[in-house]
Amino acid sequence: MDAALLEQMLLGALLALSVYLPLGCGQLSLATPGFYAVGGYVAALLSTGVAAFVGSGATSPLWALLAEMVLGGMLAGLIALAIGGPVLRLRGIYLAIATIALVEILRVLNLNLPFTGGAMGIFGIPQPFAHAEGYVLFTLALLALACWLCQRLEALRLGRAMAAIRDDELAAASVGIDTPRTKLIAFVASAVLAGVTGALAAHFLNSWNARAGSFDASITTLAFVVFGGSRFWLGPVIGGLALTALPELLRPVGDLRLILFGAVILLGPLFFPQGLVTAERLRALGALLGRGRHRSRQAPQAP
Amino acid sequence: MNRSPDATAPVPLLQVEAVSCRFGGLLALDRVSLELEEGEIFGLIGPNGAGKTTLFNVISGLTTPSGGRCLWRGVPTTGLGASGLNRLGIARTFQNLRLFESLTVRENVLVGLHHAARAPLLGALLGNGAFRRHQGRLEARAMELLTLLELAALAEQRAGDLPYGDRRRLEIARALATAPQLLLLDEPAAGMNPAEKDDLRQLIGRIRDHFALTVLIIEHHVPLMMRLCDRLAVLNFGQRIALGSPAEVRTDPRVIEAYLGGQGQARGEGR
Repeated sequence: MDAALLEQMLLGALLALSVYLPLGCGQLSLATPGFYAVGGYVAALLSTGVAAFVGSGATSPLWALLAEMVLGGMLAGLIALAIGGPVLRLRGIYLAIATIALVEILRVLNLNLPFTGGAMGIFGIPQPFAHAEGYVLFTLALLALACWLCQRLEALRLGRAMAAIRDDELAAASVGIDTPRTKLIAFVASAVLAGVTGALAAHFLNSWNARAGSFDASITTLAFVVFGGSRFWLGPVIGGLALTALPELLRPVGDLRLILFGAVILLGPLFFPQGLVTAERLRALGALLGRGRHRSRQAPQAP
Repeated sequence: MNRSPDATAPVPLLQVEAVSCRFGGLLALDRVSLELEEGEIFGLIGPNGAGKTTLFNVISGLTTPSGGRCLWRGVPTTGLGASGLNRLGIARTFQNLRLFESLTVRENVLVGLHHAARAPLLGALLGNGAFRRHQGRLEARAMELLTLLELAALAEQRAGDLPYGDRRRLEIARALATAPQLLLLDEPAAGMNPAEKDDLRQLIGRIRDHFALTVLIIEHHVPLMMRLCDRLAVLNFGQRIALGSPAEVRTDPRVIEAYLGGQGQARGEGR
């Protein structure tokens, strides 16, 4: 497996976690690709504009990448913060539609703003790493950090509040949880993660245009989570890795590959309605490894 | 502040002032007024559709009344919302049971301890000693509540897998976890057999004494309410038709007429 594909898989896993975060408190948001595109534009504009002075023009220092990721994440987070209040009043499918509209608005803006390079987008984004392997290691570290945060969330009151809202929003409010605030935190965290990922992806892909954040991408990233399972962070990670790899691995079969890809997405939920990673399978895995890692979410002992 | 100038008259814990609630053409509550004194067990009875649960929803902030208001220790609660009212000290259970079904019994109570669970974020993320001690105290508190409600053995069961009676008690445990001063119980004995009902009655008394609570309770089982409650109010068609001690309410002709269907009279006579 070549490093470039591996890098795309890792980016897919990060985007899947971005969809998973709001879904973890019951919010079906499809806005991830929009924030991903915003983060990418921040990195593309800064590194081809301002940061070209600090690098050689074709390369850029690592600190510049980190700074762009922070700024890309912040801009995405600020947009989420600004629109989250009204948008998160919507529930279920209505929220999904509103967030699709947001992705479209951002896409049209990216196409037409005077500084985003129109339909061609931005080219020649400088490289912080000489080889794809450098990206892989860096992205792996970022994914590990994101997974660790998601794992820690389970032990925190924020994570419990999110799970409570997912199960029953009204009951969550009745035990004193500030439900609008909790949902907003999850939405903003999702946007920040997507923005950070976009900033990294822009460098890796070397060019960036409005197609990065499209309706298609909304559906694909949602498929990652549906396929992998939305209850534990491991599910979206596996879904993101597998479904990003699949179309490339299927390349030898030619035109059939999209049909096969579609069949997998269709059959996955049919045979694994909860996704691949469920409480039961995690427990079985935990028993196999002989450790009680995820004990807190399960009911091992019968009374 | 809206405190009464007369220092000798204590401000009631909760005042419901002429609350009306209209859903389209239906007047679910019609200028209902109540006052709850601290420490009492107050019962709310009335036929189906009388507006009891609607009144609960207004008091707990889930429904905004179309008229009137509630006062908590003399201060209006308008616009606080369910979570705001819970933080003031009002907790409730639901007639149709609203547990966090995918979480365990223990986690349901931990969610109830949300406001006791505030901890510095960095320490919590890193899981340092201070956070683990804090977490240990929360877990101990949760187990204490589960023990009180005889659910400790089921702590690691998924709430969605519990039998009916256990779910009812878990909802009470979760409500108590929020450290309320007023507990609203919406038909806690529904679906229970007579022995369970009797256990529940004793449990509610025990909880009231243990936590120095005020309890507002909706229940259809009139004999249970007569024994349990210090005072009762009777609702019928959204109006409060009686208020007083169980003995007073039992003999009130309007109650007999409305609630018991009017002895010897034709039923369905209208209001």
